[in-house]
Amino acid sequence: MALLSRPLLTRKFENAEDFIPPPRSVLVTGHSPEERSKYTCDWIARFVDVSIWTIADQMQAHIRLEGSSQEIQLRSQKQLTAFWASAGRRTLLIDITGLAHHVWAPLLKAALATGRQVQVIYTEPFDYTFSKAPKEGEIFDLSERITGIAPLPGFTSLAEEDEDRVCFVPLLGFEGTRFAYLLEEVQPPGGKIVPIIGVPGFRPEYPFHTFQGNTLPLRQTVAWKNIRFAIANCPFSLLYALEDIASDYPLDLLKIAPIGTKPHALGAVLFALTTSRRVELVYDHPIRKSTRTSGKNRLLVYHVSALTFSSVS
Amino acid sequence: MQTAEEQISDLFGSFKAEWLREKIYELFKEPKYFPELLTGRPCVLVGGRGTGKTSVLRLLSYEGQFARSGRSPQAIRGARFYGFYYRVDTNRVTAFRGPEITDDQWVRHFAHYLNLLLCDMVLRFIEWYQLQTGDAVLLPPAACEELATSLNLDPCANLIELTKAMRLARVRFEAHINNVADGRHAALSLQGAPLEPLFEALAGLECFRGKMFFFLIDEYENLLDYQQQIVNTLIKHSGALYTFKIGVKELGWRRRTTLNENEQLINPADYVRIDVSEHLSPAEFAGFAQEVCNSRIAQLDLPGSSGDIRSLLPSLSDDEEAERLGIRSIADKILKQAGSELSPIEMQVLNTLPPLLLYFFEFRRTADQVALSTIIRDYLSNKQTWDTNYGNYKHALLFTLRRGKRGIRKYYAGWDTFVLMAAGNIRYLLELVVQSLLVHLRGGMNLSEVVSADDQTRAAQSVGRKNVSELEGLSVHGAQLTKLVLGLGRIFQVLAADAAGHTPEVNQFYLAVGADDAEDEARGGELLNAAVMHLALVRTPGNKLVDTADTREFDYFVHPVFCAFFEFSHRRKRKLQLTMRQVLGLVKEPRETIRQILATNNRRSNEPLPEQALLFGSYYGAPESSPTDPEI
Repeated sequence: MALLSRPLLTRKFENAEDFIPPPRSVLVTGHSPEERSKYTCDWIARFVDVSIWTIADQMQAHIRLEGSSQEIQLRSQKQLTAFWASAGRRTLLIDITGLAHHVWAPLLKAALATGRQVQVIYTEPFDYTFSKAPKEGEIFDLSERITGIAPLPGFTSLAEEDEDRVCFVPLLGFEGTRFAYLLEEVQPPGGKIVPIIGVPGFRPEYPFHTFQGNTLPLRQTVAWKNIRFAIANCPFSLLYALEDIASDYPLDLLKIAPIGTKPHALGAVLFALTTSRRVELVYDHPIRKSTRTSGKNRLLVYHVSALTFSSVS
Repeated sequence: MQTAEEQISDLFGSFKAEWLREKIYELFKEPKYFPELLTGRPCVLVGGRGTGKTSVLRLLSYEGQFARSGRSPQAIRGARFYGFYYRVDTNRVTAFRGPEITDDQWVRHFAHYLNLLLCDMVLRFIEWYQLQTGDAVLLPPAACEELATSLNLDPCANLIELTKAMRLARVRFEAHINNVADGRHAALSLQGAPLEPLFEALAGLECFRGKMFFFLIDEYENLLDYQQQIVNTLIKHSGALYTFKIGVKELGWRRRTTLNENEQLINPADYVRIDVSEHLSPAEFAGFAQEVCNSRIAQLDLPGSSGDIRSLLPSLSDDEEAERLGIRSIADKILKQAGSELSPIEMQVLNTLPPLLLYFFEFRRTADQVALSTIIRDYLSNKQTWDTNYGNYKHALLFTLRRGKRGIRKYYAGWDTFVLMAAGNIRYLLELVVQSLLVHLRGGMNLSEVVSADDQTRAAQSVGRKNVSELEGLSVHGAQLTKLVLGLGRIFQVLAADAAGHTPEVNQFYLAVGADDAEDEARGGELLNAAVMHLALVRTPGNKLVDTADTREFDYFVHPVFCAFFEFSHRRKRKLQLTMRQVLGLVKEPRETIRQILATNNRRSNEPLPEQALLFGSYYGAPESSPTDPEI
């Protein structure tokens, strides 16, 4: 189905601070060292009846809110349900900009299970400060950048698996070594690797950097033949691309590696929560650096609870 | 019809068994150690990436045996054994760790998961067996009940109920792991407990009487340490009914004990260790590899493709190679210079000698700082000693002929050379072969013509380059391995190019004893182990009897698949001494460490990089000088 006939359920704000959360809402956020995850005092002053819950600790297994000593376990439906229950009847907003995937993904899953209105917020960076396309010959140190493959909390899949019935869908970013590493670990069947690249990108030139950075593994696996595209800052566009892939590979377990943009990772999580198909998310847990991005660009609000969910409880 | 390149890429290009899938059964050639795997004893197959472990284990699976038999139901019934293949999946096994529950609880959880996994593999096999043979397999209701009870499932009276209950149990267990911090009670099973009743029930059925059952566990290194101990325990206590065949990378079997820390798995009492590289002598590997390549060539539908791979890839003798590297004009210059120093009779003798030997005279003259006439007169009076010396240096001389020039500076050609460069690794050998054939075809040639030495060399350089680039993505520590290989490769390249007055063909290293502190020892040891595991380095026992846990007892060789990229000898020859601090320095401060190691060996670090290595210029720092234009 053409993208034009599918709803994108997104509001865009060219200036991030033009967005004002709806009254009677809870906004969960976290600060990374990146500038775009920080809220200015002027901006917050314009919020009316909005509770801001800032996650101070983003540990591997638990989180802790600013001003609280209580640890909330990420592999605990009970504790995550209680976390959202304390928000009362308010609208739930999750700003994923400064949150790691292993934090926002289980929080989102639990938020959607409440049946309340849930919106996800994301602020694009103005630019990436690192070399966007590591050239061949530049050594990319994974040990400084990832902690290794492990399931996202709440998304472990132990479903039976027939190795030949796997379709591997990497959502590509600039860093081809991460893609190569995942290929080595997942070892998908040849011919069933369907990469997705963000097009249009946050900036017009970004898709080219993505191609360039991933040239080696794309060429070796011949996966370049299967590349698909989804709007880089749109989880819904990604979700629809995944739905199309799922229908093209009707018998396969979809192993999705969300190593590209955060909105794409959000789309992958939404797909895992809405589909009746067997899905496994494969993630390498990057170590974020303060120097990764600079500035703020557009802010996007995704109305994720408008989708129908099958496996959030 | 597919083009020549497509056919070659299809048949040879899928170097990984994982990518070949069904085709591996067709293309499979039995290695010499294969019969050892067919016994009822546990086996541990140890080998680097690309040594064929996955192919062998897949072939032992019931699907592999079926495909090899020509998909014959009769062959399934008559099989001596049935193997269940499982590749350890990192994304699943890493779910079983974390601070939410204690280590002991994780042991119990993973043991239960393993029970579900192994039993599910057997039940799926039974389904498959019934489907392929049309024979019904009826597990007695009592056995189904016993199995269900031991897995903590609801009661089951037959196979269908059992399969359904198992799937449900898996879904429930998945939900439990996803909420493991909730502290809910999980219905777990005792480690290995369901396997006994299951196999006893199978052994009691007429169709499986006297059959063996193998669990084929591949990529054992992906298991966490405690998980290896759990499987080790199963291996230790596996008996007459079922056994384990394990595939693991060298040094990937980190834990040798069972869950009882005092109980080791011992070879040969508890299992048979099959080290792929030790079980195939170089000659046997060459024969095996030739068979593999020829059987693939035979499947090509191309003119002239019925040839033998050895004859398609001719080699060069040292003298032929020297000719191609421009020895003739160098020899002419030497003769011209000698003419003014030697008598006509001496010149007459000199004119009959091979040009490379003349070059050796010049080489020695430079090293010894004496007159050419002295060297030649010494040669004429001590011919035997000189011939021995020449034999030692002959190959090493080739690296110096085009020192600092552009273009090919050293040839890597011939089947035997490729076999040595692959160092027992079939995947690397296939890469060298396919790349040579592709370069050849792209040059407008066909397979009735032999592949030129130039094309083979370019192919070997590009395979080296590809594998250096790939090291980064092989593991989380791939960047350190890349830096280590780039550092060592550069050192051996300079030693090879600047050989005059030095020991020839130094291309290995060993570790100095007592030179490092404990921290460097530990960190360096880890780095070297990872390098061996991911085939950045090859190690061989040194002169002393070795303890496999001691990194110092080995000689280390940069994997020879990289030698054409760096331009050092593919023949394992002489070695230099390094400290662990220097090994670590190649990763942390490469430029300074390379300079220091070269200085210790009386070389300078301003030797030009080979053209193909220039892309790693940023690692080496800005190249101090680049290759000069052809000039001989």
